Amino acid sequence: MVATGAATLCMALGLTACGGDSDSGDSKTIKLVAADYGDKASNASKVYWNQVKKEFEKAHKGYKVDVQVINWNEIDKSVKNMIQAGDEPDLLQTGGYADKVADDLLYKADEVMSAKTRENLIPTFAEAGEVDGTQYGIPWVSSSRVMFYNKDVFKKAGVKSPPKTWDELAAAAKKIKDKKAAETPYALPLGPEETQGETMMWELGNGGGYTDADGKYTLDSAQNVETFEWLKTNLVKPGLTYANPASTDRKTAFADFAGGKVGMLNGHPSLIQMAKGGDVDYGVAPIPGKEGPLESTLGVADWMMAFKDGGAEKEGVKKFLDFTYSKKMLAFDEMYNLMPVTQDALKTMQSNGEHKDLEPFFEVLPKAKFYPLGDTSWDLVSAEIKKTGGKAVVDDPKQVLGDLQKKAESAAADTK
Amino acid sequence: MSLKAPPSPASSGRGRGGRAAGPVSRRSGIARLGPLPWIAPVILLILAVVVWPVIELIRTSFLNISIAGKVRGSAGTDKFEKLFEESDFGAVLTWTVIWTVVVVTATMLLSLALAQLFNQKFPGRRITRWALIAPWAASVLMTAIGFKWMLNQTAGVLNTLMLDLGLIDSSKDWLGKPETAWPWMMAVAVFVSLPFTTYTLLAGLQTIPQDVYEASRIDGAGPWQTYRHITLPMLRPAFLVGVVINLINVFNSFPIIWAMTQGGPGYDTSTSMVFMYKLKETDIGESAAMSVVNFLMVVVLVLIFLKVSRWNEED
Repeated sequence: MVATGAATLCMALGLTACGGDSDSGDSKTIKLVAADYGDKASNASKVYWNQVKKEFEKAHKGYKVDVQVINWNEIDKSVKNMIQAGDEPDLLQTGGYADKVADDLLYKADEVMSAKTRENLIPTFAEAGEVDGTQYGIPWVSSSRVMFYNKDVFKKAGVKSPPKTWDELAAAAKKIKDKKAAETPYALPLGPEETQGETMMWELGNGGGYTDADGKYTLDSAQNVETFEWLKTNLVKPGLTYANPASTDRKTAFADFAGGKVGMLNGHPSLIQMAKGGDVDYGVAPIPGKEGPLESTLGVADWMMAFKDGGAEKEGVKKFLDFTYSKKMLAFDEMYNLMPVTQDALKTMQSNGEHKDLEPFFEVLPKAKFYPLGDTSWDLVSAEIKKTGGKAVVDDPKQVLGDLQKKAESAAADTK
Repeated sequence: MSLKAPPSPASSGRGRGGRAAGPVSRRSGIARLGPLPWIAPVILLILAVVVWPVIELIRTSFLNISIAGKVRGSAGTDKFEKLFEESDFGAVLTWTVIWTVVVVTATMLLSLALAQLFNQKFPGRRITRWALIAPWAASVLMTAIGFKWMLNQTAGVLNTLMLDLGLIDSSKDWLGKPETAWPWMMAVAVFVSLPFTTYTLLAGLQTIPQDVYEASRIDGAGPWQTYRHITLPMLRPAFLVGVVINLINVFNSFPIIWAMTQGGPGYDTSTSMVFMYKLKETDIGESAAMSVVNFLMVVVLVLIFLKVSRWNEED
């Protein structure tokens, strides 16, 4: 009872360092923590992982898999608490990996995956999993971003073709507003959920981005500041997007698009199913840039990683990863209409004719640009951008981005 | 209150000064410890539940913990320096003070009126007293989420209602920007604080003996004079309890702000409590430093308040 009281108080005081050590289980039990990609009970990732667990335990007698699926909002905090309490999982599937490399918590990829499985990974993704030339992050799923538009809204507003440049986008948005064809002409979600994604898609359109060629942070570069100045004066002020983009999350924007209330927005493949579910007749086009459509769009990958101190034997983890990546990859990709990171799954999905709607995404994927994933300070910088980046379209962009740049520089100095 | 309480067991069977005849000669080991064996469990509980977390909290604020959650050693006072250099730190503290003062003041004033009302005899008093408990009985988080949805720009009933009444000409994203989010969150905070405060004051009102009022009536005091010179002074203990508890509660209030705006955009609707929570995402040490500052502020707040109120009493 005392312990319960203490735990409650720990929570009440916002203390995170109270966790005690707990048993990591025996060496034959593989503890897996994974993010939840589902949006309802029937497609929760728990369903997928339980199936994997069942099949793996059947094929490899003696091993046990302990699955814990956590939603995206909580997973990073939960994992942080686990690490602090010395209770690391054996395997973790989430959005970033490099911060854990900085603390030397992870196995190298070649220690926990057979050569055959590694060769099956699509090279660009495998490379994105490298920190200073050594692969730690194992790609799990990927996606690329394109612009979605509502065909009915465009027709009603008299917009003939999807915009290719920023000016065309603003003009199309103005038409939509004037004709009252949609509540929100362009949905600009810069709330905490995925500020770093929308930000990068816009900055790429102006030749900007998060880092320069040497990998140094350039969050407040002239191009980036100019990008936000443009957004502020041409979309936010004239009311061509949400009134408060900095507090509007991506899920709101997606839901609004699926509800027919949005003219256009940048989205990833899961929006296809949502739009179909809402009976929205949508089209896709490359993301507009300042002078013309983006040559390389934003590519995003989620990651699998293996912890050294998880408690299970390395051989078991290796068996589990080989099993999952060779046998169960396609099932996951098809379950969520996400894009594969293994060559055989990609081949199957491109050729079996069931994924025509993913074609525009496959097309832009080879040239996609990633976040600076291999930078060990990126996870921290990304978290800072999520918190305050959206304010760049409300306050002075130079100051907001300048503050972020300062934080990024000190984070980079800390982890080096 | 009944005056016919049964005589306490201590006074029966023992004469005046009967205490002196205690069993001095039989003092054994346990007895020599005095009251310690009886209060020891409580002391242990306090040490484990109150003192230890505070020590742990202060220790964490001097640690360098990576974003992955790994302790990298001592940070000295770096985390405090980093915290004080945050560009939003000043604004967050200012808003914390405004938030606490506005919510507590509004709560106390409204509760005074409500308690007075519920102290009157009127038909249906029992039901209305029950109804007052509702916002208290409901989880604060649920109430805050409820208000968030009621204020939703596209589907919120409050937006629709105000549109229909002609109060606004287009539906508004109330919680999207700090200017409108703060007043709404303050209103919700007052709403959930009212029941407890009102009941505290109501209990206070009921302890004021009727004969004092009778005496003042005979002396020819008007209603306002009676209220100012009899009710308010005699309500003082209950009022103080209400203020102190509300000060701490409102200062530490987290669920309302978190559910309604998550302290955003940026840190624009964050109190120091929410700020602490958001810092946790990037730097646990800095977040612990904020907690220490919060803890000290509460302690100082209460000390100042007790001092001021006692000084008044002596006056």
